[in-house]
Amino acid sequence: MSDERDAAARPPALELRSVVKRFPLRSLAAYGKAVHAMDDVSFVLEAGGSLALVGESGSGKTTTASVIARLYERDSGDLVVDGEPARPFRNRAESLAYKKKVQLIFQDPFGSLNPTHTIRSILERPFLIHGLADGRADLEARLSEALEQVGLSPAAEYLRRFPHELSGGQRQRVNIARTFAVEPSIVLADEPTSMLDVSIRMGVMNMMLDLKERKGVSYLYITHDLAGARYMCGSIAVMYAGMIMEIGPTEDVIRDAVHPYVKLLKSASPSPESGLARAPLDASGEIPSLIDPPSGCRFHPRCPYAEPRCREAVPELADLGGGRGVRCVLALR
Amino acid sequence: MIKDFLKTLVSNRKSLVGLCLLGFFVLVAAFAPLIAPYEPKIDRLETVAELGEPSLEEEIVSEDYPSDSRDVIVYRSTTTREYEKTVDYFPLRAKPSAEHPLGTNHAGNDLFSQLVWGTRVSLTIGLMTGLFVTALSLTLALLSGYLGGVVDDVITFLTNVMLVIPGLPLMIVVAAYVTMKGTLPIVLILGLTGWPYPTRLLRSQVLTLKGRDFVRVSRSLGERTSFVVFREILPNMISIAMAEFFASSMAAILGEATLEFIGLGNVTVVSWGTILFWAQANGALLSGAWWWFLPPGICIALVGTSFVLINFAIDEISNPRLRKR
Amino acid sequence: MSDTMLEVRNLRAGYATAKGFVRAVDDVSFSLRRGEFLGIAGESGCGKSTLAYAIMRLLRDNARVESGGLLFKGRDLVPMPAAEVDALRWTDMAMVFQSAMNALNPVLSIGEQLTDAVHAHRSVSRDEAEAMAVEMLALVDINADRLRSYPHQLSGGMKQRVMIAMALILKPELLIMDEPTTALDVVVQRSIIEKIEELRRRLGFSVIFITHDLSLLVEISDSLGIMYAGRLVEYGPAAALFNEPRHPYTEGLMNSFPSLTGPLRRMDGIEGRTPDLLSPPPGCRYAPRCRYARPACSEGGCPGLAPSGEGRLSACPYPMGGRADGGVAGEGGRL
Repeated sequence: MSDERDAAARPPALELRSVVKRFPLRSLAAYGKAVHAMDDVSFVLEAGGSLALVGESGSGKTTTASVIARLYERDSGDLVVDGEPARPFRNRAESLAYKKKVQLIFQDPFGSLNPTHTIRSILERPFLIHGLADGRADLEARLSEALEQVGLSPAAEYLRRFPHELSGGQRQRVNIARTFAVEPSIVLADEPTSMLDVSIRMGVMNMMLDLKERKGVSYLYITHDLAGARYMCGSIAVMYAGMIMEIGPTEDVIRDAVHPYVKLLKSASPSPESGLARAPLDASGEIPSLIDPPSGCRFHPRCPYAEPRCREAVPELADLGGGRGVRCVLALR
Repeated sequence: MIKDFLKTLVSNRKSLVGLCLLGFFVLVAAFAPLIAPYEPKIDRLETVAELGEPSLEEEIVSEDYPSDSRDVIVYRSTTTREYEKTVDYFPLRAKPSAEHPLGTNHAGNDLFSQLVWGTRVSLTIGLMTGLFVTALSLTLALLSGYLGGVVDDVITFLTNVMLVIPGLPLMIVVAAYVTMKGTLPIVLILGLTGWPYPTRLLRSQVLTLKGRDFVRVSRSLGERTSFVVFREILPNMISIAMAEFFASSMAAILGEATLEFIGLGNVTVVSWGTILFWAQANGALLSGAWWWFLPPGICIALVGTSFVLINFAIDEISNPRLRKR
Repeated sequence: MSDTMLEVRNLRAGYATAKGFVRAVDDVSFSLRRGEFLGIAGESGCGKSTLAYAIMRLLRDNARVESGGLLFKGRDLVPMPAAEVDALRWTDMAMVFQSAMNALNPVLSIGEQLTDAVHAHRSVSRDEAEAMAVEMLALVDINADRLRSYPHQLSGGMKQRVMIAMALILKPELLIMDEPTTALDVVVQRSIIEKIEELRRRLGFSVIFITHDLSLLVEISDSLGIMYAGRLVEYGPAAALFNEPRHPYTEGLMNSFPSLTGPLRRMDGIEGRTPDLLSPPPGCRYAPRCRYARPACSEGGCPGLAPSGEGRLSACPYPMGGRADGGVAGEGGRL
């Protein structure tokens, strides 16, 4: 579903190399401990491409988005955007320039619009902060355009309303309009449809696909839903307990998953087609605590194929060719 | 937003009653000189009346006729006006009467006038302290909640220490060391002992708002901290800050009355608290002089009620679950 | 008759709000066989939770059943005195709520809460009650040493499994589950559903499973009811509804879940938004969003469920997928 024609001509939109992020615990009882939210996370998002970051809650996918948006700074590892390694911001101009390139769409359409502001005062902020409008008339034109391209027209009707006067789907469209207002090159979408009513999810997803096509942005699409990831993205990376377990072209990974966790996720996902012929799950349990992650492979306590060596060392992300990578000793055989 | 908020406040029955009650006292305070029959601290009424017409007496001092065409006469003219000055001393400890609707106190001051003038002082102290406390605690809460880290640790520690010390004894101790001149010292004492509780409440609200997605969006868009604090967070705190303002004002009015009542305030100022102080000092409660101690008590209770009613309404507005179905 | 566990007849229920009475369940009828797994799908605000609470007689103070019947094993629950309903509830019919976090008491241990449920309805000794609790926990794959644990020491999935154990401890014949897995991750969700299936096969109770996740329901249900704006718009065998939806809303909803393994095609979902139940649109409530709507759809009464062949019912007078033997608008459907 993605368009990666000119990927070779441009540097990747985004590249993470062994990024680590820990959140130290502040309480005295847990002195010296930390939440291992991201460990050795590496991936490449091609310019104009789309990568789905799939994982259950607590897998570190939202932290990854926040680190890329630089709401938090990573502890170690490289973050490269449009071929430029990210460095600490020296001034506000640098910070603004970065934020103009990388934008986030949040999950909660209710929480991400300030209830005390009108849609106008919410939506004009990106233009004002980044100095994108040339006078009052231009700002008006841009506001209308921003709303109309997400399917909210007549724009004037929406501009004077407050968030609570809009439905969930309309609010999320306002959020997306705000994201695209700064003309970013990378959009990080954190479960943008999971809190919407089911019947309107596809409308928002299709609109995002159309916007991507028209604006040539790159998507990092964060979701817990494999089927949604398949619909939205050309590539997929599956995270578990802060680490990427498998990465590759979406169709390949879903059809022919290698990592036991990805297989488990696939067999657990609702799929009417498979119907009653479904095989029962071969593993149970839940994502481990990220404060004391298991030694070695983080999936080994639940893994039906675990071997003694899985407990000892964290497997490397092995290259299977064809853009696929798997963090599992099984893949090396 | 503020306009909407006030509109809702007026449309809610509880807050409307509260606002009317408060409005009544504000009017009384504003028009005290017109409403009160006497000045608050006089104990007598002096009337001066002129008796009859002024009488003119002329007396020739000397006469001289230097020439046929000139006379020089020196004379003294004395106008005598006669006045009658009546001094009506107010009765001491009088019962209510036509002249003194609420009687008089031990010094003969008119209690009704004192009550009216006292409204001005008590209300001013209450509202000024409320404003002071709200501003102070809002600032501390925003600093501590939004900035976090060491700033938060220090402010939270101070707040907790202040919360552990019982409020009334602290007020008494501080008041005992401060020389009372006018009303400003008492506002400061009440304000500096009243900030910890609202600060803690407001801080937790800041923390909640800080974690909300719209604040994260704002930061990811590149908004300045000052914008995030004042345009994103602050407007969402109006209702809780208003609630704190009314609660602190009520506490201040009670606190002022308490300090005055036990004689640690400025007893030369006329306020509801000092009326009560003098009533107690002169055994009004023992002698059953209800007109002396009851009216200021009722006024304090009514102002308190008005604040509480307004706060109920603010709660209902900001917490939809309490709204009537 | 003995084969019918529950029969809902023309049920109307709703709740009062500041703006007026919201009829969240409007003329809903269906029946549930012994051992059947019925899925009820619908979006938020379609009335599916109100339906569940009405069946359990657990409606909140501002809500009530207006008319209709709820025949549980032949006895009507609607006029039944509260004491009799209390006796039935938990022993004969039980419910698993959406939020296990709120349904479990944080200051009581899991064991205490399970045995309390037993003691409330059966006069058994403490040891017997505890034995029942251990047995039930084992059924939902929770170790007996968790009896002494408090809710905050368990993960979300475990809490939801404890809720299921608590619902099943008195071996009810009907289990109603209102979005029991919505807040959980897919793997946990799947393991809980497998557990329910296994227990249902073993214990033979009927299940009403309510969720917005149609793709899940299609897979796990025997029969499927689709609700929209308070009305049951389609009812029938799950597989049949999936393969050949007869109501445009069912089709639209099926088109809202991208496929995991099937061919990748553009899906459109449904345009517009669900109507305000305070002032539902005239005629068919789905007409304003329906891609096949004709002018006649927005006139007159709301079409009721009518047989559309093969044991299926649809509330669309213009059924899709060929068969047009048609229902009559305005009549409430009966099973």
